[in-house]
Amino acid sequence: MFYQTPTVDTSGYMIAGYAVAFIVMGLYVASLYIRTRNLNRDMETLEEMENSDS
Amino acid sequence: MAEQRTNSRPPKGNFIKAVSAVVWKDLQAEFRSRELFSAMLVFSLLIILIFNFALELDVKTRQSVTAGVLWATFAFAGTLGLNRSMAIEKDRGCLDGLLLAPVDRSASYFGKVISNLAFMLIVEIIVLPVYSVLYNINLFQPGLLLVILLGSIGYVGVGTLLAAMSVQTRTRDILLPILLFPVVIPVLLAAVKASTGYLEGLEFSEILSPLSLLIAYDVIFIAVAFMVFDSVVEE
Amino acid sequence: MQAKPVTLKILDVFSIITLAVSAYLALVFAPTELVMGDVQRVFYFHIGTAWTALLGFILAAVLSVIYLVSKDLKWDRLQVAAIEVSLVFFFITIVLGSIWARPAWNTWWTWDPRLTTAAVTELIYIAYFMLRQGLDDPERRARFGAVYALIGGLSAPITFFAIRLYRTIHPVVIGGNNPEAEGGFAMSADMRVAFFFALFAFTIIFIDLFWNRVRLGALENKVEQLKLKVTM
Repeated sequence: MFYQTPTVDTSGYMIAGYAVAFIVMGLYVASLYIRTRNLNRDMETLEEMENSDS
Repeated sequence: MAEQRTNSRPPKGNFIKAVSAVVWKDLQAEFRSRELFSAMLVFSLLIILIFNFALELDVKTRQSVTAGVLWATFAFAGTLGLNRSMAIEKDRGCLDGLLLAPVDRSASYFGKVISNLAFMLIVEIIVLPVYSVLYNINLFQPGLLLVILLGSIGYVGVGTLLAAMSVQTRTRDILLPILLFPVVIPVLLAAVKASTGYLEGLEFSEILSPLSLLIAYDVIFIAVAFMVFDSVVEE
Repeated sequence: MQAKPVTLKILDVFSIITLAVSAYLALVFAPTELVMGDVQRVFYFHIGTAWTALLGFILAAVLSVIYLVSKDLKWDRLQVAAIEVSLVFFFITIVLGSIWARPAWNTWWTWDPRLTTAAVTELIYIAYFMLRQGLDDPERRARFGAVYALIGGLSAPITFFAIRLYRTIHPVVIGGNNPEAEGGFAMSADMRVAFFFALFAFTIIFIDLFWNRVRLGALENKVEQLKLKVTM
């Protein structure tokens, strides 16, 4: 009936957008995990030092 | 002798005396050495020079861009003044001296704001005619001067507080612009808009809006800084 | 470190599920927008992260006041967590906004008030952490952080309105009310479902990340204190 310009294919941008969202969130969760693990290790070391001191 | 911090407010006369004492001390010190002032002034002139080479300031674009160039200059030179002003306090241990005085700490805040404002205004008063001469624009319009005053008040109000903090960090000078600029954007926006309005001779009704924003910003932030300054200088 | 409370473990799982559902709604369930195509789908995550980061920002400013009044470091821990998570979310908002702008308005950046304010707010957050990093004393760190978060929290909304009022060349385009605005769009019922669910999902995710970050902060404090004790 009416001539309509076909919808532009912008799916590439969409994928880029979602990739960014997931990757950034993933990286943040990973950083929380790594920091927690490092701190726990530090905690162990420090507790050992404290015990060997006293 | 232990200092008694009672809740009874010292008489108002003391407050004004304390503020004037701080201002007078700064102005006197600066008058003797003039290091802050000359640094700010030379820096401002150099910035204007850089803008001249960076932007194509032909007669047409000059009109629309003058306000922006001026305010960018003031913003950059301002950090210089703020940094030095607070660094001097810290290095000479003046901050500690002020703290021991039996006076509301906000007096030292107001004192610093007024002296910093004085330095900034003096520099601006000199930059204006220089710019006017270099670019053949009359900048001595009362409206523009009002905007410069209001904008400087807002800038220095927040800047003094943030400088008091940044001077106590490891990174000191570098940190102040990083802290200050994002927070002072409304001042720059409104000041440039109002300045351009006055320079282009717009109706007052159009200039009223950014002008009111400037006033609102000044009031809000000076009030907040006043309440919070205690937390920033206590040991 | 104390074991993770069961509620948090459940919340972790729940967050992942809601994220997956939200992604499904945004990518599959919602219809394709007619004019700009699939890229419009980033809008759901763009607004989801923007909205929650904004709440986080307001929360941080409120926490500032509470800390300055109470001087209890617990509030400082909460503030750091709120600002850190909001920083991450706003980053996603900004990048997604840029990715959306490119095919929709043929530019990588629009200086529209929302996006610009998000960028300014992001810079305030980064400045917040740089301020904290330059200080060694935890009490001073907390005090100064609170002051700056308060000042920043007050200035960002003013920035938003100032840009909206005084930068008329760049109208509000992203998600603006006027669907006729170039590049704007009107939401159909299905889109609205995806939209509101995304808001819900990101709120849940924010709370989850926030809680985890607060626990991390508590652990940090313990380690720092122990370090001081042992190296005395």
